[in-house]
Amino acid sequence: MKTRVHIIDNATGQPVEAEIFDEITVEHFIETQQNWRPVVLKAARQLASRSSHQLIPQHFHWDWTTKAPELKVLANVFYGISYDNQLQGLMKLETVGQFCTCRLPEQAGKALVYVDYVEVAPWNLKPLASALGEKPRYNAIGTRLIEAAVLKSKEEDCKGRVGLHSLPMTELFYTRACRMTPVGRDPAKQNLLWLEYTAEQAENFLTGAR
Amino acid sequence: MADKRTMTLNLTDQEMSLLEDLSARKDVSKTALLRQALRLYQVVEARLSRGEKLFFEDDEKKKAELMVV
Repeated sequence: MKTRVHIIDNATGQPVEAEIFDEITVEHFIETQQNWRPVVLKAARQLASRSSHQLIPQHFHWDWTTKAPELKVLANVFYGISYDNQLQGLMKLETVGQFCTCRLPEQAGKALVYVDYVEVAPWNLKPLASALGEKPRYNAIGTRLIEAAVLKSKEEDCKGRVGLHSLPMTELFYTRACRMTPVGRDPAKQNLLWLEYTAEQAENFLTGAR
Repeated sequence: MADKRTMTLNLTDQEMSLLEDLSARKDVSKTALLRQALRLYQVVEARLSRGEKLFFEDDEKKKAELMVV
């Protein structure tokens, strides 16, 4: 699957056509280690030196290459967004498993698609780009990825139902930008906030996101 | 979306009843449920083949190992 989507080029404020795709290979994981991780670490060091530890992303240690064996598992679906010959974002979904069950009372027990990991290239994240004296390059990467998760949920007959655990720094993104419903802290997952879409909320998000 | 192939599946009345019950509870079609079950089986099988064990844990943290054939 390859689909054209719009992201925002912050240099011009104009939408540009990026590509979202699910044919993820280990090469994409290696690309994140080679191109993303050094930038993340450099920015994290800058933030630490300014005592701005709270802005250091909680996912700075992620290593996608450790997920290479998971590419062969049919329950997992990976998506990437590329623009300007560079990977701008990466996401891992689970279509079945421990967290693929709804918790919101009105849809408890129903199947959902679980967003296991989402990462946006560091040059698109404001705290990291700012730490390096730059402006974020592109906007709407995370939104496009969550949109892809909702579309996958519909394809899997889950009607758009999506759930995820959010790191503390991204809670506002999921509640405000994505308008997901915060359900509660999950002691089974480092007490992270569990958020969910109902089918109706997912449809509203898709309508608003386009 | 990947190309799909069609197969005929013969189920007993009890199996069909279970499939209908689960698909209703999960609010997915019977086809979607069977595809999920197949993928779940792959996950379980892959982990067991690596020597891992499958457990269920109750509220009191008591673990019960699940035997998979």
